[in-house]
Amino acid sequence: MSSEHAHADHPPYQAHFFHTMEQQNSSSKLGMWCFLVQELLFFSGLFMAYVAMRYFYPDTFSEVQERNLLSIPMGFTNTLVLLTSSLTMALAVREAQLIPIQEGAEAQKHRSNMMKLLLVTAILACVFLVIKYFEYTHKIHIGLLPGSFYDFPEWPVFKDPGTGKILGVMGENGIIDVRSAPHIFFALYFVMTGVHGLHVVIGVGVILWLFLRGKRGEFNQENYSAVENVGLYWHLVDLIWIFLFPLLYLVQ
Amino acid sequence: MGHSHSEPHVTPLKVYFGIFGSLICLTFVTVGVSYLGLPPSLSIIVAMAVATVKATLVSLWFMHMLHDTKFNVSLFLASIWFIGIFFVFTTLDMASRDKVLKSSDTFEYRKDYAAEVAK
Repeated sequence: MSSEHAHADHPPYQAHFFHTMEQQNSSSKLGMWCFLVQELLFFSGLFMAYVAMRYFYPDTFSEVQERNLLSIPMGFTNTLVLLTSSLTMALAVREAQLIPIQEGAEAQKHRSNMMKLLLVTAILACVFLVIKYFEYTHKIHIGLLPGSFYDFPEWPVFKDPGTGKILGVMGENGIIDVRSAPHIFFALYFVMTGVHGLHVVIGVGVILWLFLRGKRGEFNQENYSAVENVGLYWHLVDLIWIFLFPLLYLVQ
Repeated sequence: MGHSHSEPHVTPLKVYFGIFGSLICLTFVTVGVSYLGLPPSLSIIVAMAVATVKATLVSLWFMHMLHDTKFNVSLFLASIWFIGIFFVFTTLDMASRDKVLKSSDTFEYRKDYAAEVAK
């Protein structure tokens, strides 16, 4: 087999170092899974921080819920938005799987369906971010901020006049309750939802990248691993929110 | 391997909509339960159980883990296993450190502190 013959055998989207598209697809998917596994381990550190803080300050976590400091309707809406975007992403991958290798009306139909679904997914991701923006600005406005930035008058903390370090919550008769730590809860809230939100922003970027590639006429049923891998990433972002929402907004 | 490509496994639309419907229902369940006012220890168990069911639905059907290779699935399960080790051992440490270190006053009321600072 001459090298030119081998070249003609390959579709343009198959890299030369792969024997078959099957091999190329399974390699790229394995790479994506390695990345997703790393993402899970990375987020598990944040979840463990949550468990540890809950263990040390159980009353704080119940009191945050009692005082309704997080908006359940907003978190609930965001959950529905993210679940719907996960559905549209799964359907976009499905459309990519249906694009025949032979270009034609059938291929164009499924590719255009895929692009519409990708666009809807990106729009829903933006809706999620807009709702998150309103939640954040409200919290920043009333002083529900992480660590030493915490300054919420209705649940005041006592700061050491010398160092400015928060020592606990101001209780009745000047008693300082060091078992209460709303500033730590909001540190967790902002870090966990912030890192998750960063993933959503990156998700919007990669979904639009797929959209542009679709516009150039790329992807078919043997060459859709980019769509599938972004889909896996997007579902993982959804998966993390599935745990974040009850832990931060709901659990007493 | 004779063929250079194989047809992908296409999940029927009905399945996707069914999974989506279940996920929405479970979201209503988890929010509804939070209004029942269960004790904290119970409410976190219920919330995590519902979240685990939702995560299973997403990973098996939306992430196509049902039809993925055994290697990719075991990679995923291995990460869950190691997260489990991480959580269990860290929690055991937190639960037992008071028996080793005399630091119980860290999480007690300190009634005298305001007066102390005022001086």
